[in-house]
Amino acid sequence: MIGVVRFLGTNCDQDIWKAVESSGKTPSWLWYQDQFNYKDYESIIIPGGFSYGDYVRTGALAAKTPVMDSVREAAKYGVPIMGICNGFQILCESGLLPGVLVKNNNLRFIDKWVELKGENSCESWGGKMQSCNLPIAHGEGCFFTHEEELKQIEDQQQVWLRYKENPNGSLNDIAGVMNKEKNVAGLMPHPERALFDWMGGSDGAKFF
Amino acid sequence: MILVGVKIMPRKEVLDSQGRATMKTLGHHEIALNDCRVGKYVELKFDKETKEEALSKSKEIAELILFNPLVETFELEVKEL
Amino acid sequence: MVQNSFKADPKYLKTYRISEDEYQMICKLLGREPEGLEWALFSALWSEHCSYKSSKVHLRKFYSKNDIVVDAEGENAGVIHLGQGEQVSFKMESHNHPSFISPHQGAATGVGGILRDIFTMGARPIALGNYLCFGEPKADRMSLIVDGVVRGIADYGNCVGVPMITGQTNFHSSYNGNVLVNAFALGYFGKEDQVYSSKAHGTGNYVVYVGAKTGKDGVHGASMASESFDEDSEDKKPTVQIGDPFYEKLLIEGCLEVMKLDLVEAIQDMGAAGLTSSSFEMSDGGGVGLHLHLDKVPARDSDITPEEILLSESQERMLLICKPENFAKISEVFDKWDLDAAVIGEVVDEKEITLFWKGEKQLKIDPSVLVENAPRYNRSYDEIPSKSVQDLKILDSDLKDGLNKIYSHIEGGSKNWIYQQYDQRVGARTAKDCSSSIGVVSLPETGRALSVVLGCRPYVMRMHPGLGGADAVIYPSLELAVKGFKSLAVTDCLNFGNPEKPELMSEFVAAVESMSEACKAIDAPVISGNVSLYNETLEKNVTSTPSTGIVGIKDDIQNIPSDKFQQNGDVAFVLRLPQVKTEGCYKEICGEQPKYSGELNNKELSEFVTGLKEIVLKNIITTSKVSGNFGLAFTLSKMCMSGMGLKVDNQEVFSSQGLFGESLYEVVLCVSKNQKEGFLQLASELKSKLNQLEIYELGTTGGSNLEINSQSVPVDHLFKEYNQSWEKNFEVLA
Repeated sequence: MIGVVRFLGTNCDQDIWKAVESSGKTPSWLWYQDQFNYKDYESIIIPGGFSYGDYVRTGALAAKTPVMDSVREAAKYGVPIMGICNGFQILCESGLLPGVLVKNNNLRFIDKWVELKGENSCESWGGKMQSCNLPIAHGEGCFFTHEEELKQIEDQQQVWLRYKENPNGSLNDIAGVMNKEKNVAGLMPHPERALFDWMGGSDGAKFF
Repeated sequence: MILVGVKIMPRKEVLDSQGRATMKTLGHHEIALNDCRVGKYVELKFDKETKEEALSKSKEIAELILFNPLVETFELEVKEL
Repeated sequence: MVQNSFKADPKYLKTYRISEDEYQMICKLLGREPEGLEWALFSALWSEHCSYKSSKVHLRKFYSKNDIVVDAEGENAGVIHLGQGEQVSFKMESHNHPSFISPHQGAATGVGGILRDIFTMGARPIALGNYLCFGEPKADRMSLIVDGVVRGIADYGNCVGVPMITGQTNFHSSYNGNVLVNAFALGYFGKEDQVYSSKAHGTGNYVVYVGAKTGKDGVHGASMASESFDEDSEDKKPTVQIGDPFYEKLLIEGCLEVMKLDLVEAIQDMGAAGLTSSSFEMSDGGGVGLHLHLDKVPARDSDITPEEILLSESQERMLLICKPENFAKISEVFDKWDLDAAVIGEVVDEKEITLFWKGEKQLKIDPSVLVENAPRYNRSYDEIPSKSVQDLKILDSDLKDGLNKIYSHIEGGSKNWIYQQYDQRVGARTAKDCSSSIGVVSLPETGRALSVVLGCRPYVMRMHPGLGGADAVIYPSLELAVKGFKSLAVTDCLNFGNPEKPELMSEFVAAVESMSEACKAIDAPVISGNVSLYNETLEKNVTSTPSTGIVGIKDDIQNIPSDKFQQNGDVAFVLRLPQVKTEGCYKEICGEQPKYSGELNNKELSEFVTGLKEIVLKNIITTSKVSGNFGLAFTLSKMCMSGMGLKVDNQEVFSSQGLFGESLYEVVLCVSKNQKEGFLQLASELKSKLNQLEIYELGTTGGSNLEINSQSVPVDHLFKEYNQSWEKNFEVLA
């Protein structure tokens, strides 16, 4: 079973459900107010959207909900966890991934297709990846952290994906990042929106 | 009743893009500034706590939810109502 | 003219925006002068925005019913069958006046409002569109307005999680003092989903308020929308509503959940004129009465008055009717979604609405007095004669110079800056986004392709409103046809000036009549719509703009021809049905008024639309586009934006209209070389049904230039000009 987390304001939950089903696996909802047993899940996905309307700070309130206590435990025991867009922001706010996502440098929401370079492979999510085209849609996708942590991320091969052409000012063109153990991964682009050619591209399918 | 104000500002080392955009817009109106930084102000009202308790709880609240130490700093100010 | 037997305080009339004549009508209906809260009720429900008093008599003329229309008479949005158990509901609405005053909030709440009209029917919103008309870039406040409106639409739509899949933006000086912001939304019903009504019924049933708390924002919003702008417009700021898309998202989930659980008897959103319009319309529609306790309404401010509660346009609120035994479960569902659900009244037998405040009766009135007895004006108008001329003077120009001129004008350049701020793919159903000529989503249960395209070209309206009205239906249906889609139904948003001026009322009638005839010809009924009148500032009115939204369907989502040249060596053709020729929008941007010659023949156009769709469904067309504003050379240049050029070797296609004149209508179709004979066969079959049809072979795709006969422009240059246009016109926003 693949756990799909939902907060008040999560928008891409149904999209992730469909993506999991189309990969032949069984999705199951994880409601933000409830804790769960990590042993019941083969992996967990935190979808995109506007949890809590992005109030206070994007991902800040969602990160402090009961379900995230269970997600933290699952991470500790090596369960693969993927956060997409708002999901990535929530993982950073939860301390499960380094860094923080701040407002795009042009201060506007950006929706477009981007070309990504696979930097280090993530066995849990997609495996080896050369390059791919995925759509982005976010207002706060600029990856930031302090110099030391940035160096650490690079040195410990935690950079998962990089933008070929940086759309939002992210440091080192980072589009996706992993934890040191490489079971927790977050990315700003939306692979669930690129499953079939008629969607504009199918590079997203390998992420599920 | 105690009112604690939490002032959250972007870290000096971090690019404050909102502040910069505000300065640019003011520039179009021929207003020049040395600097402009944009932050947030949160008010916390405490019913039964003493001033010290309120300050201590506010620090906890700020660290738990209100600010992200990677990119922000915070200051507290207290008022007795 | 009603006898003047009652005398009203002119201050009251001004505050509540009721005319002297209307006042006399009210007194006659009540048998006395209005008292207390009655003033507020009439102000809201008899406003143009709520009652459609100037337009209703003409809206009845619309072709509005055929086999696919689900009977939803008087409901919020129309519903059509798509076959295979699927249905959709869609509507377009205006938020012009609030967007001019407070662009960000005005536009945002416009999106919120139209979404509620959709999910109140029980449909999950799956697509948004927006039709915008702005003034000249250098007009006063215009950069601010453009920025605010786009941000407002983006902030709301993105947060609520409904994809923006199509849009249209026009710029013209007539909108300098009054912009147009029309929001379109479409919702989906699966096989198991029920279409909900707003008709209250069942004595003893509860009236339940759900959603955000009521505040003082937007009071008098509906009557403000029914007024023109003058020097005191700044003072209208408190009447603009404030919206919160996060709340709306929760409301959508909560409402759809209780509807799916079959706990709801009737439901209506609180939009224009808030609680007043929703409760009165639910009651009158159901032929029942209501007891409403205004003090039970969840309120933000403890000092809010009963009148403010009635007139508040606080956003993100719904009114529903439920059986008493279902309330507990409804409350549980809304609690899960963190929303208030409060019983504020009950359904009663006698057909009257009684308003209570803290147990004391404030007012008792028959809702039909307000809803059905609203005035119906037959404002004076004349028929507008045809303005067809014989001698068209095409402004011809060197290819590169002409294209440069068009691209440097805001109307000709890329609108990328706008739609890249919208989430176009949330829902993972989007097949074609705002960068395409039509928006396309895949239907959840069957995977068929559903498309949305918006219509109305103001420059054509400026030539003649009858021509423009028909064009608002025909042009988008052609855009659908060249991608293989069948037009199913239409929604409209009729944006006009002051209906009390006969010349403007004439434009309204001319447009409505020609739109209806066009809809009938292509068998696409008008299933919903909105009217926005009094779009004028200091007596200067906007271009009469009847915007449309057309929905189309196609079984196969995979084979949709591209807008831009894809394959090297393809052969490009033009199919032209030259019923009307115009001097072109190009002439307008050169500072002169374009003229036209000819008249449209709906029967033939309908054949053309169907015939083109059939050709495309043979799956041999690789690239297709309707040639629109600025003519064929400009259309071809846009098709080169993929980076692939075209070599045109055909003088005849341009001989009757030059490079920049226009034909209503003509389309560009490309096929691979080995399909050329097959295509010509299909084209001549169509010509046997339409003998006026002209078929031109243009040339082959490929190379890095757009070559038209002896003139050549590099594709790179066109790409650069197209993409730099926005920042050249709006430096401040770049």
